[in-house]
Amino acid sequence: MQSFELTAPTTVDDALAGAGTFLAGGTTLVDLMKLDVLTPRHVQDINAVPLRGIDTTDGLRLGALERMSDVARHPGVYPMISRALLQSASQQLRNMASMGGNLLQRTRCTYFRDVSMPCNRRVPGSGCPARSGAGRMHAVLGTSEACVATHPSDVAVALVALDAQVSLADAAGTRTVPLLDFYRLPGDTPHVENDLRPGELITEIVVPRLDWAANSTYVKVRDRQSYEFALCSAAVALDVRDARVVDARVAVGGVATVPWRLTAVEEALRGAPVTEEAFQEAAGVAAEGATPLSANGFKVPLLRRTVVRALCELTQDEPSGSRG
Amino acid sequence: MTTTRIDAPLKVTGRARYGSDHNLPGMLYGHVMTSTIANGEIVAMDVAAAQAAPGVVAVYTPFDPLTLRTPTTPMLGDTWVPLQDRTVTHYGQPVAFVVAETYEQARDASALVEVSYDERPARTSLAGNLELAEDAPPGLDGEPSSSVVLAEGVESIEDALASSPVVVGGRYSTPTQNHAAMEPHSAVAHWDADGLTVYSGNQGAFVQQADLAAALEVDPSAVHTVNPFVGGAFGGKGRTSVPAFLAAAASRALGRPVKAALSREQVFTATANRPETLQEITLGADRDGTLIAVRHDSWCSADTDRSFVEPTSATSRVAYRTPNLAVSQKVVPLHIPRTTFMRAPGEAPGSFALESAMDELAVALDMDPIELRLRNGSLGPAGSDLQWSSKYLDDCYRIGAEHFGWSSRTPTGRREGDWLVGMGTATAMFPALRFPTTTEITLQADDTALVSVGGSDPGTGLLTVMALLGAEALDLGPERITPRLGLSAYPPGGMSGGSTATASVGSAIVAAASAVLEELQSLASAPDAPFAGQDVTYADGRVLGGGRSMTFGELLSALGRDTISAIGSAAPGEEMTKHSFSSFGAQFCEVRVHRWTGDVRVSRMLGVFDAGRIVNDQAARSQLKGGMIWGVSAALHEGLEIEDDGRLANGDLAGYLLPVNADIPEIDVQFVQHPDTLHNPVGARGIGEIGVVGMAAAVANAVYNATGVRVRHTPITIEDLLEGLPS
Repeated sequence: MQSFELTAPTTVDDALAGAGTFLAGGTTLVDLMKLDVLTPRHVQDINAVPLRGIDTTDGLRLGALERMSDVARHPGVYPMISRALLQSASQQLRNMASMGGNLLQRTRCTYFRDVSMPCNRRVPGSGCPARSGAGRMHAVLGTSEACVATHPSDVAVALVALDAQVSLADAAGTRTVPLLDFYRLPGDTPHVENDLRPGELITEIVVPRLDWAANSTYVKVRDRQSYEFALCSAAVALDVRDARVVDARVAVGGVATVPWRLTAVEEALRGAPVTEEAFQEAAGVAAEGATPLSANGFKVPLLRRTVVRALCELTQDEPSGSRG
Repeated sequence: MTTTRIDAPLKVTGRARYGSDHNLPGMLYGHVMTSTIANGEIVAMDVAAAQAAPGVVAVYTPFDPLTLRTPTTPMLGDTWVPLQDRTVTHYGQPVAFVVAETYEQARDASALVEVSYDERPARTSLAGNLELAEDAPPGLDGEPSSSVVLAEGVESIEDALASSPVVVGGRYSTPTQNHAAMEPHSAVAHWDADGLTVYSGNQGAFVQQADLAAALEVDPSAVHTVNPFVGGAFGGKGRTSVPAFLAAAASRALGRPVKAALSREQVFTATANRPETLQEITLGADRDGTLIAVRHDSWCSADTDRSFVEPTSATSRVAYRTPNLAVSQKVVPLHIPRTTFMRAPGEAPGSFALESAMDELAVALDMDPIELRLRNGSLGPAGSDLQWSSKYLDDCYRIGAEHFGWSSRTPTGRREGDWLVGMGTATAMFPALRFPTTTEITLQADDTALVSVGGSDPGTGLLTVMALLGAEALDLGPERITPRLGLSAYPPGGMSGGSTATASVGSAIVAAASAVLEELQSLASAPDAPFAGQDVTYADGRVLGGGRSMTFGELLSALGRDTISAIGSAAPGEEMTKHSFSSFGAQFCEVRVHRWTGDVRVSRMLGVFDAGRIVNDQAARSQLKGGMIWGVSAALHEGLEIEDDGRLANGDLAGYLLPVNADIPEIDVQFVQHPDTLHNPVGARGIGEIGVVGMAAAVANAVYNATGVRVRHTPITIEDLLEGLPS
């Protein structure tokens, strides 16, 4: 870790007037500073800035500095958001990590985190060892020659499924961007991960009202049952009437370079009967366009199967399995 | 007997002082820097910027090294010492040691050291370099690493297998693993008029004393090692660590105390790991399940010094009775971090292969896997006339099957909702060993006693066992015993390794107690003593004679003495010519595999163990549970991934997966207690390692039972199962 200057603004205006990297929960930034992956000269601790609040009166408005743990246990939060949060990291990390920071967390790619290795995301143009190296955790969707790293967030997957927007502020003013558009595919500029401008701050996350998202869930498949990133995850919501799907929201994580909305699966589900067979058929288009590496080909069938599992769990009367 | 461990309050309240908890006036901090190549020569190192960095006191490199000699011990062979030459043989090898006034200064300065390498291609794949395989040297027990036993008239193992009505076989593999103890390897060293004192977690203070004395070329009496608490060892702290060597040498050179600790990432490369293994097993059996032939050929990875062999084929020498047996063991030297003992070395990966193969044989025979194992139980090691001293494995299986509900198992598992449920079992064995050990017992005038040995309790419970066995030998309540471990000043013995400590220290305590009580009685009846000229006896802390009695404390006070002490020693002896010795166990587990996504969850576990006498039931259960969790970890989580260039793809605790609480169900542990006094006077055999043995196979066998998918490697992950799941 390199030496840095630390300031602690107490208002949004002061934070935006200052210079330097914003520090919220610190669970990504400090981690990467210890590894010398991030070497900010100036860090602004914004924890005293009043960006709090969970408002469920019309949809959901979340202050960017709300802690993951507080949002997860709030009764007015859509189930897929709560479940995505509860399956993220560990309780200790959720107590610290902010919602805004969660959306900006960096990839867990082993090469990104090791400064002795090339990485196009960390050092543009330096190369990507992941394509031929340890590729099991990497993405199969939204990849490019330059980068195959997965986006690690769970809750961003649920938020993308729910058409969430992020409110952004900088010294020049504020704007609102759909979260789906906020994230950038790596293309040949993987170091540009999102739409955030220099000095810009996420102030709020806004989820439009969607009453039938009360019928939603988040399924996370991973190598251990807690404190591990997804091999594949699925956020699904279903509007079911008379044993038919009227509308659906489906997004997946752990398989793509950005949180990945599956509108084709949603379309295939509309009008379909609530049956395992129909879910399988709809999930058949989930992995369209996937380009697996040699080590992560399993993510293609896993992606389809995870979507089916999530749809089945959402429509079963009783959760199955004693330790499910 | 069950007793809460004596050191628990200190540990859970944070008052136990581990090695690196020690801080000394004027202390400097050292930071180790490691290589970023796996094979080559260091051509040059530019340390100017590091030397000029704030607070830096010294920068040591192979060009400007701290002098360290290579220590050698009969058991561990050579112990590698850092910075002595410019050849790099693995990624993450220590190449510099930066010492500064603060830890941060040392760490930041080490990032300024520029290393120029002449890099050579690295060989890191075991499977890809089998042509480099060498025959392994004989094992620690002197047994040749390869051997063949054939029934009369049988020409070869191939013939024996060819004539077997039922034959199964496969190639099994297990990955490199790291002990991943919570306490990273670390040390605080300082020198004064008495010589060197080092505070460092290890598996035996007297072992570290010998290593450091040899490395630094000083008399062992001038080296004082302090190790009262250890944050986990598991074989990974048997050899003296890089920080201990460097802190000791730098402290001598600089005349100030030096603290050094490895980072978590460095623990994976700058200590030593369990080797990767490949194993080929073929089993031949009669149709009734009687084994006719067993062949077990093993390869393990090794560092370029071939410092360790993971003897997996040895498992097949002891587990089953077979008229024809051929085992071989080879090592493949690679450009990988050093390899060493890790909990159940040989037995853990060896049992994964053999016990998986036995399950495959049971399937081929359409026979219950327990029945197959009981039918072929061994009476002793293959090729040895010495039978097991005491073996109740059949009871373990009978009790286990009953408690686990084994009779409800079907050959194709069962389904509960979206979960495919299966049960698996496997045999666990670990040799009963003990090492020469000396213990000192001191009786004190306040009617308490000290029991001291230079070994270590890295969470095993040895400290509490010493109190219990000391109390038994002295006929006192355990609360009157103060057990003492972890100083090289104490007598040598009680190293934590090979599941030996209870048997080794317990036997020495019996000898020392006998000696000190004899001395006590002799003093009691000496001229002018309270029992002068009388026949005296000792019981319940009292000396009795002539119808009177005194506590030993009263007697000592009457004699004007504060204490009396005696040394007792014990070592393996004549029993080794009469029997073979092993602990046994039956492992059971139930798994659930999700029919859509293939994730495996262990839902129940049971181990029933025949380990001789259990001295402290509570700590023993914890030991066995811990071992069984290691087995789940091996089966489903753990594995170091070494890339082609030697870099570790997952060398930290984020990437090197260990199970969390959510992965582990309630664990049931039971004992069949038959004290094995043929092995040692206490009757206890080791329990530190047997819990891990067989459990990975039990999980794999349960996965097969649930899904019909046979996975012959660990860890078993989702991609191994997806294709075989119902759609």
